[in-house]
Amino acid sequence: MKRKILTFLSVFVIAIGSSTAMDGLTPEQEALYQSIVHEVRCLVCQNQSIAESNAELAKDLRIEIANQIKDGKTEQDIKNFLLNRYGDFVLYEPSFNKKTVFLWLSPLLLLLLIFGWYRKISLN
Amino acid sequence: MIKKLPVLIFLVFFAFLAKSLFQDQTEIPSPLIGKPIPTFSLPRLNAEGLVSDIDIVGKISLINVWATWCVGCLEEHQLLIKLSQGSMAIPIIGINWKDQTDSAIRWLEERGNPYTEIAVDYEGKTAIDFGVYGAPETFLIDDDGIIHYKHIGALTVDVWAQEFLPIINELKQ
Repeated sequence: MKRKILTFLSVFVIAIGSSTAMDGLTPEQEALYQSIVHEVRCLVCQNQSIAESNAELAKDLRIEIANQIKDGKTEQDIKNFLLNRYGDFVLYEPSFNKKTVFLWLSPLLLLLLIFGWYRKISLN
Repeated sequence: MIKKLPVLIFLVFFAFLAKSLFQDQTEIPSPLIGKPIPTFSLPRLNAEGLVSDIDIVGKISLINVWATWCVGCLEEHQLLIKLSQGSMAIPIIGINWKDQTDSAIRWLEERGNPYTEIAVDYEGKTAIDFGVYGAPETFLIDDDGIIHYKHIGALTVDVWAQEFLPIINELKQ
């Protein structure tokens, strides 16, 4: 029984120990932090966000993001910081620019094509 | 024709997805190409004092991000040594990334030191500024400190000959 309690408690200790990046953030800052880290791709382990990853780089980026939030940087400041270093791929929701215009508009294009086709077919 | 449109759309879409399937997604183009190297000021690995971005600019050189824990770094080490020697030698600046200083020094003593300068980035902040996500990474910079190329992963003779040399020859003209 004692052992079970210890195991149970140690899970909490580990959980607390791993959240050091958020130390000293106000609740609003913490909310901002959470929303950003879930949107940033861990480039070492591409299918995880840096919030989920245990990679060293993900840890460094979490600390960097927390520090920038403490310094009063906005969400856009921090995203630009990451984009300037790692490129569009680092954000799960890529920004809208010349290179990503096809990515963003292709679903709409496809929808229009299908709609146009459907009308043509039903008119015939 | 119009009846076949969905088939056409499907084929285009299929071709697009099929192509993506065989594309290498691990190497991500760096937005830093064409830009000056980020500023930094870091302690030297094997000497006193600090080394900054201003100190290393002036010649066409390589910036190599390495660590003793990195497998690819061991792989490319002999090539780096070769590149640092002879009449065609190119200055190589090392950034020792998130490493133990004593093991890094021992590593170089055992295997040779190809670097003209080594900056220690223990916390990884400079590596973030360089957009580093997997060591080894090698940047090619010109004499003004502008980044012209970045290679992720171990440097090989082929990569050197096909990717680096043409740019270096162009820069020298």
